[in-house]
Amino acid sequence: MEEVVGGSHSVAEFVQGYESEGRLRGFRCPACGFLTATWGVACSRCGVSGLVDTTLSDVGQIVAFTIVEVPTEERVNDAPYAYVVVELDGGGRISGWMPSVRRAEDLALGDRVRFRPSYRPGLQFEKETSAAAE
Amino acid sequence: MRETWVVAATSNRFGRSTESARESATRVAREAIEQSGLDPKAIGQTFVANCLGFAEHQAHVGPLINNGLGIPDVPSVTVESACSSSSAALHEAFVHVAGGFVDAALVVGVERVMQMDSLKATSYFADAADYPFETRNGATFPGLYATLAAAYAAKYPTRPEMFGAVAVKNHANAARNPHAHFQKEISMETYLSSPMIASPLRLYDCCPFSDGAAALVIAAKEASPRPRHEPLVVRASARAGAVTALQDRPTLLGLPSTRVAAEKAFRQARLEPRAIDFLEVHDCFTIAEMLALEDLGFFPPGGAKDAALEGVTQRDGKLPVNPSGGLKAKGHPVGATGAGQVVEIFEQMNGLAGTRGVPHAETALAHNVGATGGSCSVHILSRR
Repeated sequence: MEEVVGGSHSVAEFVQGYESEGRLRGFRCPACGFLTATWGVACSRCGVSGLVDTTLSDVGQIVAFTIVEVPTEERVNDAPYAYVVVELDGGGRISGWMPSVRRAEDLALGDRVRFRPSYRPGLQFEKETSAAAE
Repeated sequence: MRETWVVAATSNRFGRSTESARESATRVAREAIEQSGLDPKAIGQTFVANCLGFAEHQAHVGPLINNGLGIPDVPSVTVESACSSSSAALHEAFVHVAGGFVDAALVVGVERVMQMDSLKATSYFADAADYPFETRNGATFPGLYATLAAAYAAKYPTRPEMFGAVAVKNHANAARNPHAHFQKEISMETYLSSPMIASPLRLYDCCPFSDGAAALVIAAKEASPRPRHEPLVVRASARAGAVTALQDRPTLLGLPSTRVAAEKAFRQARLEPRAIDFLEVHDCFTIAEMLALEDLGFFPPGGAKDAALEGVTQRDGKLPVNPSGGLKAKGHPVGATGAGQVVEIFEQMNGLAGTRGVPHAETALAHNVGATGGSCSVHILSRR
């Protein structure tokens, strides 16, 4: 896991990380160890600054999800799709969408998913099994 | 701190308005000032709550309201806290009056969103989440609460009827409320056959987009003149915050900001939950009412899921919840919602609630959440 001390990367770099570079950027708290993929200048758990730039795992498991039937303007042609909260291997939770999952019965809590780089806005996941099959 | 009262509380009918926010806010504010018995010039400051003013190309609406009221010299400030904006404005007014900075303050909450289509409104509402880390990743406002509902259901097994009972109850209450957006009852069958918006939340799990305005006049006990109705004492005015992005919270079971605001409020009021006769809670979605009742301390974790189904929270139940119809059916004009909850409590305590009245109520609680709980307000109000 590559780490840079300073916690300097920006909101845009986070987004570019997964939309352009195929990388899930994150911060690790030097005090409590909390891992997050959300931008800040101090840890949202313990308040300590000096967050350390890190790269989060590409794979994890679903801890909560829904199937969005009524989308925002950005995804007007994509619904229904799954919106998921994923616990990444090695720590850190992140939210994302799964355009290939259109029905609640096609997804379950605990399902393994993998980050899928895409030119589309937002962070995409796909089922890990389908990634392995490709 | 000085003893602080709500001396007047007014609202228009929530729903579709043909007026601009500026017009409806000014009208309800004028009515509140008249109700308060105060000279308008006695208002020391106006606290305005308006979230989506840019949708009608009007920011900085506070001075326009004061101009329309004939008090252009009175300072105003807009308080934005997403769906909890007007309870946040009430808190600011309380701080100013209780702290002795002004003797009387006007709180006005207003929103006009129904000129937008559903797609546009869904997009605007989603902007109150963490845009780059939730909304851009596919979250919608119903989607985020659906995620909370899914996490809750995974821990505490639920049936659709449990959620449906909240919707049926709140529609039944709204049917008796002339301020309500939806003044009609729904059946469980109607609920169960309504389309999915974000699983497991159906159409009738969701509050509507509403236009609306509500106004309150807050005054120090010693400054209060002869108001038309019996003032209510603000026993507690508490606020709390929490991490916005759901994925960064230690748990998806409940809203941490509600728990903290409730603890602060009960401590401030020196009361226990059992002292509360009825509640107006933030039920933007049916799951939100369940979570609120648990986070506020009225039910243990997982204990509120069948409260509506078993009749506990009905108007004539042991603990009436949302006798107004709640956000779910009274409506959710974002900036006016929190003040509207206090209007309901004021009308209930003054015997103005008609057939939806909760008898013998002495103390009530208002709970108002900003988005998915990045902000939360809890107010406790009592008869004098």
